[in-house]
Amino acid sequence: MRLKIMLALLVLSGLLLTWNLYTMFLKVPDEANQGAIFRIIYFHVPAAITSFTGFFVAMFCGVGYLANKDLRLDAIAASITEVSLAFATITLITGSIWGRIIWGLWWTWDPRLTSYFVCWLMYVGYLMLRRAIDEPNTRARMSAVLSIFACIDIVIVWKSIEWFRTQHPGPVLSIRSGGGMAPGMEAPIWWNLLALLMLSASLILIRMRQEAMQREIDSLRRYAHAF
Amino acid sequence: MSPENYTFMFYGFTVAWLVIVIYVISIALREKKLRDELERVKRMVDEREGELKK
Amino acid sequence: MNFLRQAWAVAEKDLRSEVRSKETVNASLSFALVILLLFSFAFDPDAEQVRQISGGLLWLVFAFAGTLILNRSFARELVNDCLDALIASPASGAQLFFGKCLANYALLVAVECICLPIFAVFYNVRLPQRIALLFLVMLLGTWGITVIGTLFSAMTVNLRLRELMLPTLVYPMLIPALIGAIQLSTVLIGGEPLGADNQIWFRLLIAFDLIFTILALSLVEIVLVG
Repeated sequence: MRLKIMLALLVLSGLLLTWNLYTMFLKVPDEANQGAIFRIIYFHVPAAITSFTGFFVAMFCGVGYLANKDLRLDAIAASITEVSLAFATITLITGSIWGRIIWGLWWTWDPRLTSYFVCWLMYVGYLMLRRAIDEPNTRARMSAVLSIFACIDIVIVWKSIEWFRTQHPGPVLSIRSGGGMAPGMEAPIWWNLLALLMLSASLILIRMRQEAMQREIDSLRRYAHAF
Repeated sequence: MSPENYTFMFYGFTVAWLVIVIYVISIALREKKLRDELERVKRMVDEREGELKK
Repeated sequence: MNFLRQAWAVAEKDLRSEVRSKETVNASLSFALVILLLFSFAFDPDAEQVRQISGGLLWLVFAFAGTLILNRSFARELVNDCLDALIASPASGAQLFFGKCLANYALLVAVECICLPIFAVFYNVRLPQRIALLFLVMLLGTWGITVIGTLFSAMTVNLRLRELMLPTLVYPMLIPALIGAIQLSTVLIGGEPLGADNQIWFRLLIAFDLIFTILALSLVEIVLVG
Protein backbone atom coordinates (compact mmCIF):
# COMPACT_ATOMS: atom_id res chain seq x y z
CA MET A 1 0.00 0.00 0.00
CA ARG A 2 2.81 2.34 0.99
CA LEU A 3 4.64 1.44 -2.18
CA LYS A 4 1.62 2.39 -4.27
CA ILE A 5 1.41 5.79 -2.57
CA MET A 6 5.11 6.38 -3.19
CA LEU A 7 4.88 5.47 -6.85
CA ALA A 8 1.71 7.53 -7.30
CA LEU A 9 3.37 10.59 -5.74
CA LEU A 10 6.48 10.17 -7.87
CA VAL A 11 4.51 9.84 -11.09
CA LEU A 12 2.19 12.73 -10.25
CA SER A 13 5.03 15.05 -9.35
CA GLY A 14 6.90 14.08 -12.50
CA LEU A 15 3.83 14.83 -14.63
CA LEU A 16 3.22 18.14 -12.89
CA LEU A 17 6.83 19.23 -13.28
CA THR A 18 6.77 18.38 -16.99
CA TRP A 19 3.49 20.23 -17.54
CA ASN A 20 4.95 23.19 -15.70
CA LEU A 21 7.94 23.22 -18.01
CA TYR A 22 5.51 23.80 -20.87
CA THR A 23 3.84 26.66 -19.01
CA MET A 24 7.10 28.17 -17.94
CA PHE A 25 8.73 28.21 -21.32
CA LEU A 26 5.95 28.74 -23.78
CA LYS A 27 3.10 30.54 -22.13
CA VAL A 28 4.74 32.97 -19.74
CA PRO A 29 6.42 35.92 -21.44
CA ASP A 30 9.88 37.20 -20.56
CA GLU A 31 9.91 39.58 -17.65
CA ALA A 32 10.52 43.17 -18.64
CA ASN A 33 13.64 43.88 -16.61
CA GLN A 34 15.22 40.51 -16.13
CA GLY A 35 14.60 38.61 -19.32
CA ALA A 36 14.63 34.87 -19.62
CA ILE A 37 16.65 34.21 -16.50
CA PHE A 38 13.75 35.17 -14.25
CA ARG A 39 12.20 31.74 -14.96
CA ILE A 40 14.67 30.31 -12.49
CA ILE A 41 12.37 31.72 -9.82
CA TYR A 42 10.00 28.86 -10.69
CA PHE A 43 12.48 26.39 -9.25
CA HIS A 44 14.31 28.61 -6.81
CA VAL A 45 11.36 29.78 -4.73
CA PRO A 46 9.47 26.45 -4.52
CA ALA A 47 12.69 24.65 -3.58
CA ALA A 48 13.34 27.23 -0.86
CA ILE A 49 9.81 26.92 0.51
CA THR A 50 10.00 23.11 0.39
CA SER A 51 13.28 23.06 2.26
CA PHE A 52 12.07 25.47 4.95
CA THR A 53 8.85 23.49 5.41
CA GLY A 54 10.87 20.31 5.68
CA PHE A 55 13.22 21.71 8.29
CA PHE A 56 10.35 22.89 10.45
CA VAL A 57 8.41 19.63 10.17
CA ALA A 58 11.61 17.75 11.04
CA MET A 59 11.95 19.87 14.16
CA PHE A 60 8.43 18.95 15.25
CA CYS A 61 9.20 15.28 14.62
CA GLY A 62 12.29 15.70 16.77
CA VAL A 63 10.22 17.24 19.54
CA GLY A 64 7.77 14.35 19.12
CA TYR A 65 10.63 11.90 19.58
CA LEU A 66 11.70 13.67 22.77
CA ALA A 67 8.14 13.36 24.04
CA ASN A 68 7.44 9.76 23.01
CA LYS A 69 10.85 8.16 22.56
CA ASP A 70 9.50 6.54 19.38
CA LEU A 71 12.44 5.91 17.05
CA ARG A 72 10.19 6.05 14.01
CA LEU A 73 9.71 9.77 14.62
CA ASP A 74 13.46 10.16 14.63
CA ALA A 75 13.62 8.28 11.32
CA ILE A 76 11.01 10.63 9.85
CA ALA A 77 12.95 13.65 11.07
CA ALA A 78 16.21 12.40 9.58
CA SER A 79 14.61 11.54 6.24
CA ILE A 80 12.86 14.90 5.97
CA THR A 81 16.05 16.77 6.83
CA GLU A 82 18.07 14.92 4.24
CA VAL A 83 15.57 15.55 1.45
CA SER A 84 15.18 19.20 2.51
CA LEU A 85 18.94 19.59 2.40
CA ALA A 86 18.92 18.42 -1.23
CA PHE A 87 16.32 21.07 -2.04
CA ALA A 88 18.29 23.67 -0.10
CA THR A 89 21.28 22.88 -2.29
CA ILE A 90 19.13 23.44 -5.37
CA THR A 91 17.98 26.78 -3.93
CA LEU A 92 21.51 27.97 -3.28
CA ILE A 93 22.88 26.97 -6.68
CA THR A 94 19.94 28.27 -8.74
CA GLY A 95 19.99 31.48 -6.72
CA SER A 96 23.68 31.89 -7.41
CA ILE A 97 23.16 31.40 -11.15
CA TRP A 98 20.34 33.95 -11.15
CA GLY A 99 22.53 36.39 -9.24
CA ARG A 100 25.31 35.98 -11.81
CA ILE A 101 23.04 37.42 -14.50
CA ILE A 102 21.12 39.99 -12.51
CA TRP A 103 23.79 41.36 -10.20
CA GLY A 104 26.87 40.24 -12.12
CA LEU A 105 28.01 38.34 -9.04
CA TRP A 106 28.05 34.62 -8.36
CA TRP A 107 27.68 35.32 -4.65
CA THR A 108 27.14 38.25 -2.34
CA TRP A 109 27.25 38.26 1.43
CA ASP A 110 24.01 40.07 2.12
CA PRO A 111 22.14 38.93 5.27
CA ARG A 112 19.48 36.76 3.63
CA LEU A 113 21.81 34.77 1.38
CA THR A 114 24.31 34.44 4.20
CA SER A 115 21.67 33.25 6.64
CA TYR A 116 20.38 30.68 4.18
CA PHE A 117 23.91 29.38 3.63
CA VAL A 118 24.36 29.24 7.41
CA CYS A 119 21.14 27.22 7.65
CA TRP A 120 22.49 24.84 4.98
CA LEU A 121 25.75 24.45 6.92
CA MET A 122 23.90 23.69 10.13
CA TYR A 123 21.96 20.87 8.57
CA VAL A 124 25.10 19.45 7.00
CA GLY A 125 26.39 19.46 10.58
CA TYR A 126 23.19 17.68 11.61
CA LEU A 127 23.87 14.87 9.15
CA MET A 128 27.51 14.70 10.26
CA LEU A 129 26.42 14.44 13.88
CA ARG A 130 24.04 11.60 13.04
CA ARG A 131 26.83 9.74 11.32
CA ALA A 132 29.16 10.23 14.29
CA ILE A 133 26.82 8.69 16.88
CA ASP A 134 26.26 4.94 16.72
CA GLU A 135 23.76 4.37 19.50
CA PRO A 136 20.27 4.96 18.05
CA ASN A 137 18.66 6.54 21.12
CA THR A 138 21.53 8.94 21.80
CA ARG A 139 21.63 9.81 18.11
CA ALA A 140 17.91 10.56 18.09
CA ARG A 141 18.17 12.69 21.23
CA MET A 142 21.09 14.80 20.02
CA SER A 143 19.58 15.20 16.54
CA ALA A 144 16.31 16.43 18.03
CA VAL A 145 18.07 19.04 20.19
CA LEU A 146 20.25 20.16 17.30
CA SER A 147 17.28 20.55 14.96
CA ILE A 148 15.47 22.70 17.56
CA PHE A 149 18.50 25.00 17.74
CA ALA A 150 18.84 25.07 13.97
CA CYS A 151 15.18 25.99 13.48
CA ILE A 152 15.46 28.97 15.79
CA ASP A 153 18.23 30.15 13.53
CA ILE A 154 15.90 29.81 10.53
CA VAL A 155 13.58 32.24 12.31
CA ILE A 156 16.44 34.71 12.46
CA VAL A 157 16.86 34.17 8.73
CA TRP A 158 13.22 35.00 8.14
CA LYS A 159 13.38 38.04 10.38
CA SER A 160 16.46 39.29 8.59
CA ILE A 161 14.33 40.38 5.63
CA GLU A 162 12.50 42.81 7.85
CA TRP A 163 15.37 43.98 10.01
CA PHE A 164 18.30 44.59 7.72
CA ARG A 165 18.93 46.22 4.39
CA THR A 166 19.40 43.62 1.77
CA GLN A 167 20.25 43.27 -1.89
CA HIS A 168 17.86 40.34 -2.27
CA PRO A 169 14.69 41.38 -4.11
CA GLY A 170 11.87 42.11 -1.72
CA PRO A 171 8.90 39.81 -1.30
CA VAL A 172 7.08 39.45 -4.61
CA LEU A 173 4.50 36.79 -3.84
CA SER A 174 0.92 38.00 -3.64
CA ILE A 175 0.34 36.65 -0.13
CA ARG A 176 2.56 39.41 1.18
CA SER A 177 1.24 42.93 0.86
CA GLY A 178 2.38 44.89 -2.15
CA GLY A 179 3.08 41.86 -4.31
CA GLY A 180 4.87 42.71 -7.51
CA MET A 181 4.11 39.93 -9.96
CA ALA A 182 1.37 39.77 -12.57
CA PRO A 183 -1.14 36.99 -11.70
CA GLY A 184 -0.45 34.95 -14.84
CA MET A 185 3.22 34.82 -14.04
CA GLU A 186 2.80 33.82 -10.44
CA ALA A 187 0.77 30.64 -10.89
CA PRO A 188 3.63 28.38 -12.05
CA ILE A 189 5.44 29.06 -8.77
CA TRP A 190 2.60 27.53 -6.79
CA TRP A 191 2.16 24.61 -9.21
CA ASN A 192 5.88 23.90 -9.05
CA LEU A 193 5.72 24.14 -5.28
CA LEU A 194 3.01 21.48 -5.25
CA ALA A 195 5.09 19.29 -7.54
CA LEU A 196 8.22 19.68 -5.42
CA LEU A 197 6.31 18.99 -2.21
CA MET A 198 4.94 15.78 -3.72
CA LEU A 199 8.37 14.82 -4.97
CA SER A 200 9.89 15.42 -1.56
CA ALA A 201 7.07 13.46 0.12
CA SER A 202 7.77 10.44 -2.07
CA LEU A 203 11.54 10.71 -1.49
CA ILE A 204 10.92 10.98 2.26
CA LEU A 205 8.75 7.87 2.20
CA ILE A 206 11.49 5.97 0.38
CA ARG A 207 14.09 7.16 2.90
CA MET A 208 11.83 6.16 5.78
CA ARG A 209 11.54 2.67 4.37
CA GLN A 210 15.33 2.56 4.25
CA GLU A 211 15.56 3.68 7.88
CA ALA A 212 13.13 0.91 8.83
CA MET A 213 15.31 -1.58 6.94
CA GLN A 214 18.34 -0.28 8.81
CA ARG A 215 16.54 -0.77 12.13
CA GLU A 216 15.64 -4.32 11.10
CA ILE A 217 19.26 -5.04 10.21
CA ASP A 218 20.42 -3.66 13.57
CA SER A 219 17.96 -5.77 15.55
CA LEU A 220 18.71 -8.94 13.54
CA ARG A 221 22.42 -8.37 14.16
CA ARG A 222 21.82 -8.03 17.87
CA TYR A 223 19.71 -11.21 17.75
CA ALA A 224 22.41 -13.08 15.83
CA HIS A 225 25.13 -12.07 18.26
CA ALA A 226 23.01 -13.26 21.17
CA PHE A 227 23.61 -16.87 20.17
CA MET B 1 17.53 39.42 -24.42
CA SER B 2 21.20 38.59 -24.51
CA PRO B 3 22.16 35.01 -25.34
CA GLU B 4 24.07 34.85 -22.06
CA ASN B 5 20.73 35.28 -20.33
CA TYR B 6 19.25 32.19 -22.00
CA THR B 7 22.41 30.13 -21.50
CA PHE B 8 22.45 30.77 -17.80
CA MET B 9 18.76 30.02 -17.53
CA PHE B 10 19.41 26.60 -19.00
CA TYR B 11 22.35 26.12 -16.65
CA GLY B 12 20.01 26.92 -13.78
CA PHE B 13 17.38 24.44 -14.83
CA THR B 14 20.00 21.81 -15.57
CA VAL B 15 21.51 22.20 -12.13
CA ALA B 16 18.13 21.89 -10.43
CA TRP B 17 17.28 18.68 -12.28
CA LEU B 18 20.81 17.33 -11.88
CA VAL B 19 20.77 17.68 -8.10
CA ILE B 20 17.42 15.89 -7.90
CA VAL B 21 18.62 13.09 -10.18
CA ILE B 22 21.90 12.65 -8.28
CA TYR B 23 20.01 12.50 -5.01
CA VAL B 24 17.52 9.92 -6.33
CA ILE B 25 20.41 7.80 -7.66
CA SER B 26 22.18 7.98 -4.30
CA ILE B 27 18.98 6.85 -2.56
CA ALA B 28 18.62 3.95 -5.01
CA LEU B 29 22.24 2.88 -4.41
CA ARG B 30 21.71 3.02 -0.66
CA GLU B 31 18.56 0.92 -1.06
CA LYS B 32 20.51 -1.77 -2.91
CA LYS B 33 23.25 -1.73 -0.28
CA LEU B 34 20.72 -2.05 2.53
CA ARG B 35 18.92 -4.93 0.83
CA ASP B 36 22.16 -6.84 0.35
CA GLU B 37 23.06 -6.23 3.98
CA LEU B 38 19.62 -7.43 5.10
CA GLU B 39 19.94 -10.64 3.07
CA ARG B 40 23.39 -11.25 4.50
CA VAL B 41 22.26 -10.74 8.10
CA LYS B 42 19.15 -12.92 7.60
CA ARG B 43 21.35 -15.67 6.23
CA MET B 44 23.68 -15.30 9.21
CA VAL B 45 20.75 -15.61 11.63
CA ASP B 46 19.43 -18.71 9.83
CA GLU B 47 22.88 -20.33 9.94
CA ARG B 48 23.24 -19.65 13.63
CA GLU B 49 19.76 -20.97 14.35
CA GLY B 50 20.58 -24.07 12.29
CA GLU B 51 23.75 -24.65 14.28
CA LEU B 52 21.87 -24.27 17.53
CA LYS B 53 19.26 -26.84 16.54
CA LYS B 54 21.91 -29.49 15.85
CA MET C 1 18.75 31.12 44.90
CA ASN C 2 19.51 27.46 45.29
CA PHE C 3 19.91 27.31 41.53
CA LEU C 4 22.58 29.99 41.55
CA ARG C 5 24.31 28.50 44.56
CA GLN C 6 24.59 25.09 42.91
CA ALA C 7 25.68 26.62 39.62
CA TRP C 8 28.26 28.72 41.44
CA ALA C 9 29.62 25.61 43.15
CA VAL C 10 30.25 24.02 39.76
CA ALA C 11 31.71 27.24 38.36
CA GLU C 12 34.00 27.61 41.35
CA LYS C 13 35.27 24.07 40.91
CA ASP C 14 36.08 24.65 37.27
CA LEU C 15 37.70 28.02 37.86
CA ARG C 16 39.80 26.74 40.74
CA SER C 17 40.98 23.79 38.70
CA GLU C 18 41.84 26.12 35.84
CA VAL C 19 43.66 28.62 38.04
CA ARG C 20 45.79 25.83 39.44
CA SER C 21 46.69 24.17 36.16
CA LYS C 22 46.31 27.12 33.76
CA GLU C 23 46.41 24.65 30.88
CA THR C 24 43.39 25.82 28.91
CA VAL C 25 43.95 29.55 29.28
CA ASN C 26 47.59 29.22 28.25
CA ALA C 27 46.71 27.19 25.19
CA SER C 28 43.94 29.59 24.29
CA LEU C 29 46.13 32.68 24.68
CA SER C 30 48.97 31.19 22.67
CA PHE C 31 46.55 30.26 19.93
CA ALA C 32 45.12 33.78 19.91
CA LEU C 33 48.61 35.26 19.55
CA VAL C 34 49.41 32.90 16.70
CA ILE C 35 46.22 33.88 14.88
CA LEU C 36 47.01 37.58 15.31
CA LEU C 37 50.43 36.90 13.85
CA LEU C 38 49.06 34.91 10.92
CA PHE C 39 46.53 37.59 10.08
CA SER C 40 49.30 40.15 9.91
CA PHE C 41 50.87 38.05 7.13
CA ALA C 42 47.59 37.23 5.46
CA PHE C 43 46.46 40.81 5.11
CA ASP C 44 49.40 43.07 5.96
CA PRO C 45 46.94 45.87 6.50
CA ASP C 46 47.67 49.59 6.52
CA ALA C 47 45.97 51.95 8.96
CA GLU C 48 42.80 52.42 6.93
CA GLN C 49 42.40 48.69 6.25
CA VAL C 50 42.95 47.90 9.91
CA ARG C 51 40.09 50.15 10.87
CA GLN C 52 37.83 48.32 8.44
CA ILE C 53 38.76 44.79 9.49
CA SER C 54 39.37 45.44 13.18
CA GLY C 55 36.05 44.08 14.42
CA GLY C 56 36.22 41.00 12.23
CA LEU C 57 39.79 40.25 13.16
CA LEU C 58 39.12 40.64 16.84
CA TRP C 59 36.05 38.42 16.90
CA LEU C 60 37.61 35.72 14.75
CA VAL C 61 40.46 35.56 17.25
CA PHE C 62 37.96 35.40 20.12
CA ALA C 63 35.87 32.72 18.43
CA PHE C 64 38.83 30.47 17.53
CA ALA C 65 40.53 30.84 20.90
CA GLY C 66 37.20 30.38 22.64
CA THR C 67 36.62 27.02 20.99
CA LEU C 68 39.67 25.63 22.77
CA ILE C 69 38.27 26.67 26.14
CA LEU C 70 34.78 25.39 25.33
CA ASN C 71 36.02 22.05 24.07
CA ARG C 72 37.86 21.38 27.31
CA SER C 73 34.84 22.36 29.33
CA PHE C 74 33.11 18.98 29.33
CA ALA C 75 36.02 16.97 27.98
CA ARG C 76 37.96 17.47 31.20
CA GLU C 77 35.18 15.65 33.08
CA LEU C 78 35.56 12.44 31.08
CA VAL C 79 38.59 11.31 33.07
CA ASN C 80 37.73 9.03 35.99
CA ASP C 81 34.01 9.19 35.11
CA CYS C 82 33.70 12.63 36.65
CA LEU C 83 30.94 13.52 34.20
CA ASP C 84 28.80 10.60 35.35
CA ALA C 85 29.37 11.65 38.95
CA LEU C 86 28.33 15.22 38.18
CA ILE C 87 25.20 14.09 36.37
CA ALA C 88 24.30 11.76 39.24
CA SER C 89 24.76 14.54 41.78
CA PRO C 90 21.77 16.45 43.22
CA ALA C 91 22.56 19.37 40.94
CA SER C 92 20.20 19.37 37.96
CA GLY C 93 21.50 19.41 34.41
CA ALA C 94 20.60 23.07 34.09
CA GLN C 95 22.56 23.98 37.22
CA LEU C 96 25.58 22.01 36.04
CA PHE C 97 25.34 23.63 32.63
CA PHE C 98 24.94 27.15 34.00
CA GLY C 99 27.89 26.66 36.31
CA LYS C 100 30.05 25.56 33.42
CA CYS C 101 28.81 28.53 31.38
CA LEU C 102 29.82 30.92 34.14
CA ALA C 103 33.28 29.40 34.40
CA ASN C 104 33.81 29.39 30.63
CA TYR C 105 32.52 32.96 30.42
CA ALA C 106 34.99 34.16 33.02
CA LEU C 107 37.88 32.42 31.27
CA LEU C 108 36.87 33.66 27.84
CA VAL C 109 36.44 37.26 28.99
CA ALA C 110 39.84 37.07 30.70
CA VAL C 111 41.47 35.86 27.49
CA GLU C 112 39.72 38.61 25.52
CA CYS C 113 40.81 41.32 27.95
CA ILE C 114 44.41 40.23 27.46
CA CYS C 115 44.01 39.97 23.67
CA LEU C 116 42.51 43.41 23.19
CA PRO C 117 45.53 45.51 24.19
CA ILE C 118 47.85 43.11 22.34
CA PHE C 119 45.73 43.56 19.25
CA ALA C 120 45.89 47.34 19.70
CA VAL C 121 49.68 47.19 19.91
CA PHE C 122 50.22 44.80 16.99
CA TYR C 123 47.94 46.64 14.61
CA ASN C 124 48.54 50.19 15.79
CA VAL C 125 44.96 50.78 16.74
CA ARG C 126 44.03 53.54 19.16
CA LEU C 127 41.50 52.03 21.52
CA PRO C 128 38.43 54.23 21.47
CA GLN C 129 37.12 56.68 24.06
CA ARG C 130 33.95 54.62 24.22
CA ILE C 131 35.80 51.63 25.52
CA ALA C 132 32.96 50.96 27.96
CA LEU C 133 30.64 50.37 25.01
CA LEU C 134 33.23 48.16 23.36
CA PHE C 135 33.47 46.21 26.58
CA LEU C 136 29.68 45.87 26.65
CA VAL C 137 29.74 44.45 23.12
CA MET C 138 32.45 42.02 24.19
CA LEU C 139 30.40 40.86 27.16
CA LEU C 140 27.25 40.39 25.10
CA GLY C 141 28.94 38.61 22.24
CA THR C 142 31.00 36.40 24.52
CA TRP C 143 27.93 35.22 26.41
CA GLY C 144 26.38 34.06 23.12
CA ILE C 145 29.55 32.14 22.25
CA THR C 146 29.71 30.64 25.74
CA VAL C 147 26.12 29.43 25.93
CA ILE C 148 26.08 27.76 22.54
CA GLY C 149 29.62 26.44 22.85
CA THR C 150 29.04 24.91 26.27
CA LEU C 151 25.84 23.19 25.16
CA PHE C 152 27.48 21.71 22.09
CA SER C 153 30.47 20.73 24.17
CA ALA C 154 28.04 18.67 26.26
CA MET C 155 26.54 17.23 23.08
CA THR C 156 29.81 16.22 21.47
CA VAL C 157 31.69 15.15 24.59
CA ASN C 158 31.33 11.44 23.90
CA LEU C 159 32.16 11.52 20.21
CA ARG C 160 35.43 10.30 18.74
CA LEU C 161 35.80 13.38 16.55
CA ARG C 162 34.93 15.78 19.33
CA GLU C 163 37.48 18.46 18.37
CA LEU C 164 36.24 18.43 14.79
CA MET C 165 32.51 18.31 15.45
CA LEU C 166 32.36 21.14 17.97
CA PRO C 167 33.60 23.91 15.64
CA THR C 168 31.56 22.50 12.73
CA LEU C 169 28.36 22.65 14.73
CA VAL C 170 29.00 25.78 16.76
CA TYR C 171 30.27 28.32 14.22
CA PRO C 172 27.23 28.36 11.90
CA MET C 173 24.98 28.76 14.88
CA LEU C 174 27.06 31.63 16.25
CA ILE C 175 27.11 33.61 13.04
CA PRO C 176 24.25 36.01 13.84
CA ALA C 177 25.89 36.96 17.13
CA LEU C 178 29.32 37.21 15.52
CA ILE C 179 27.98 39.46 12.75
CA GLY C 180 26.39 41.78 15.30
CA ALA C 181 29.48 41.88 17.49
CA ILE C 182 31.79 42.42 14.53
CA GLN C 183 29.74 45.28 13.11
CA LEU C 184 29.51 47.03 16.45
CA SER C 185 33.19 46.52 17.23
CA THR C 186 34.30 47.83 13.86
CA VAL C 187 32.19 50.95 14.27
CA LEU C 188 33.36 51.55 17.84
CA ILE C 189 37.06 50.95 17.15
CA GLY C 190 36.88 53.14 14.06
CA GLY C 191 35.60 55.96 16.21
CA GLU C 192 32.47 56.48 14.14
CA PRO C 193 29.16 57.43 15.75
CA LEU C 194 26.70 54.67 16.56
CA GLY C 195 23.76 55.36 14.28
CA ALA C 196 20.26 53.90 14.39
CA ASP C 197 21.32 51.15 11.97
CA ASN C 198 23.88 49.89 14.41
CA GLN C 199 21.51 49.86 17.35
CA ILE C 200 19.74 46.98 15.63
CA TRP C 201 22.87 44.91 16.19
CA PHE C 202 22.68 45.61 19.92
CA ARG C 203 19.13 44.37 19.95
CA LEU C 204 20.13 41.33 17.94
CA LEU C 205 22.91 40.48 20.40
CA ILE C 206 20.64 40.82 23.41
CA ALA C 207 17.84 38.82 21.78
CA PHE C 208 20.30 36.15 20.68
CA ASP C 209 21.72 35.82 24.20
CA LEU C 210 18.29 35.66 25.82
CA ILE C 211 16.75 33.20 23.39
CA PHE C 212 19.63 30.77 23.36
CA THR C 213 20.21 30.92 27.11
CA ILE C 214 16.60 29.97 27.78
CA LEU C 215 16.65 27.31 25.06
CA ALA C 216 19.90 25.83 26.30
CA LEU C 217 18.79 25.75 29.94
CA SER C 218 15.59 23.92 28.96
CA LEU C 219 17.26 21.36 26.69
CA VAL C 220 20.53 20.64 28.47
CA GLU C 221 18.92 18.03 30.74
CA ILE C 222 17.95 16.03 27.65
CA VAL C 223 21.44 16.28 26.24
CA LEU C 224 23.21 15.25 29.43
CA VAL C 225 20.87 12.66 30.79
CA GLY C 226 18.25 11.67 28.23
